[in-house]
Amino acid sequence: MYRLALNMLFGDLAKLAMLLCGLAFSALLMAQQSSVFFGIMSWTYTPMVNIRAQVWVSDPMVEQVNDAKPLRDTDLGRVRSVDGVAWAAPLHTSFVQARMQDGNFKLITLVGIDADTFAGAPAVLSQGRIEDLRLPDTVIVDEWGAALMGRMGVGPDGQPRNTPLKVGDTFEINDIQARIVGICRVKRAFTGGPFVYTTYDRAKGYTLGARRTLSFMLVEPQKGVPPAELCDRIERDTGLKAWTSDTVIWNWGERSLARNTFWWFWTNTGIPFSFGTAVLLGLFVGIAISGQTFYSFVLENLKYFAAIKAMGAGMGVIARMLLVQAFTAGLVGFGLGAGMAQAIGRVMIEKGMPPFVMYPQILWATFALVLGISLVSALIGIIKVSRVDAASVFRG
Amino acid sequence: MFKKRLLLFALALAGAGAALQLTRGTATETPIKPPPYEPATRDKDGLIAAAGLVEAVAENTLLGSPTSGTVAKVHVKVWDAVKAGDPILTLDDRDLRAQRAVQKVAIEAAAAAAERAADAARRWTGLKDSGAVAAGDLVSYQMAAKEASARLALAQAQLEQTDVLLDRLVLRSPIAATVLQVGVRAGEFVTAGAKAPVVLGDISRLQIRCDVDEQLATRMREGLPAKGYLKGESSLAGAKDRSIPLKFVRIEPFVIPKTSLTGASVERVDTRVLQVIYQFDRPTGRALFVGQQMDVYIDASQDAPGK
Repeated sequence: MYRLALNMLFGDLAKLAMLLCGLAFSALLMAQQSSVFFGIMSWTYTPMVNIRAQVWVSDPMVEQVNDAKPLRDTDLGRVRSVDGVAWAAPLHTSFVQARMQDGNFKLITLVGIDADTFAGAPAVLSQGRIEDLRLPDTVIVDEWGAALMGRMGVGPDGQPRNTPLKVGDTFEINDIQARIVGICRVKRAFTGGPFVYTTYDRAKGYTLGARRTLSFMLVEPQKGVPPAELCDRIERDTGLKAWTSDTVIWNWGERSLARNTFWWFWTNTGIPFSFGTAVLLGLFVGIAISGQTFYSFVLENLKYFAAIKAMGAGMGVIARMLLVQAFTAGLVGFGLGAGMAQAIGRVMIEKGMPPFVMYPQILWATFALVLGISLVSALIGIIKVSRVDAASVFRG
Repeated sequence: MFKKRLLLFALALAGAGAALQLTRGTATETPIKPPPYEPATRDKDGLIAAAGLVEAVAENTLLGSPTSGTVAKVHVKVWDAVKAGDPILTLDDRDLRAQRAVQKVAIEAAAAAAERAADAARRWTGLKDSGAVAAGDLVSYQMAAKEASARLALAQAQLEQTDVLLDRLVLRSPIAATVLQVGVRAGEFVTAGAKAPVVLGDISRLQIRCDVDEQLATRMREGLPAKGYLKGESSLAGAKDRSIPLKFVRIEPFVIPKTSLTGASVERVDTRVLQVIYQFDRPTGRALFVGQQMDVYIDASQDAPGK
């Protein structure tokens, strides 16, 4: 009987193609748009991913990681005096204009890390050594920024160069030379500027006018002290704000700075609205197209269903047949849609733009929604078939 | 027909599989690696953290010049050990030497004049009884001799004065110490009372001046033990315990504005710090220099109010 149902489904290839198109595009739209949405949102807390530490300490008024409200240098001593702190390191982050060799300007994210321990240093260096950051006037640039700024540079012959910046190239930050001693591989940020790492003390020199330069403090708890508890202690003893650094949306805790950053962008920008409408659109288009196509498929085959009914099959059998047809179409449609979404995603990841993060949850949710669409379509068909009179098959 | 069906199923399965494969790793947290160089780690509770600066015991002597002038010779190099009274700098003394040469000749002239006047006075005094000289003239001769000898004494005093002035052009160390900084070269001009050209200090024993944030100052007590961690020493390979034990010296009674500022004209002081002085012996086999920064942890766990 189910074999018959499948034969009916695959009988009319044109209709099947239409049905699968509706389901596949719906799945594609939902999966791809959600992935780009989470990709863009994951860019908002990029500093938390690139600069790793258990606990971040900031001014109490800080709401998100891109908006540092600088602290006093002596606050480092206050945090180090809190029980349960193993060590604390200063961190500077700011947006400054860098001047390229051809005179063009580029906004960069300047990151100043502790020169002694290099706490917060990029995890992967594709060129150079982190120790060279102790030399005068030196910086480490990320790969993407090196490529971007390389296009803005001038070659030795005075012609624009089109190769990425490499170790030894220079540019200027606030009229002070910045010599590249390393290229690092880090994640790109929502704010757009390449990450330029230097030491904390040199960052003070690069940001001339800034009165305070301590943006954050990176803190490591002593063994056996949970980060969240250390946050409580730091807040109680110093009056500063302490954050944990979990960055994965599915398991971040109450105190995660990434989580706060995510919700800050959620409430203060139109990003969730625009992507939310796209996802909803996918859902509605899916329901409309596949529901309508399935309904017309049922209408077309109505006489066969009536015949089956006339042969004595109960409504339960017919309902199961329709469900098998709808879910088969749903599964195939989801597979094709997910396949297209991941193909687009791989191209995007390769190009690095726009950001694309397909969490497993996105895939499961898309799967559930596509099956939901199939269920709705099947229900429409079941209602139609249940109303047909078995005798109609004999009336011609 | 059946083949087409299978193909479709296979395509769908492949698509879903590839999508599933792409989701892998997206929900993994970027691992938190320890910093490339191990930081100074606190080992117990109840500590006060402070930023310290290494200086010589009894502080550093900023040797100044009493007179302005061009430097003729620098007698010392950095790291030289000097005793009290050793010459450090010699200022240009050519003008005084020229003056001295003139004064030396002036003494000879004055000596000659004094001798002639004395001789005249002696001879006329010998003829006093013969009546060949009037009493008034005789007194005049004798006074002339006295005056000439006074002139000679004056010329000699001027020479001595020049010698003293010459000696002042040589700056000498007031203490036994090590030369820490030489800020002038021969030929440069130093102004009296200006920034010290040479810094001396006794670096056999060092002390450390710790800045404690005023918000932590209430926890500070006399005599608390402390440990220091030299900045930059975290790169020492394999050195597990690199702490330097510190001995309490004193708490500076006056809370001062924090000094490490950028120097901008619009700058306002936003922090005041309590300075605490600790002393330590120069650790053997380790490079340690005056002026270096140290992370200091003061152990207030024994006597922490409000704990």
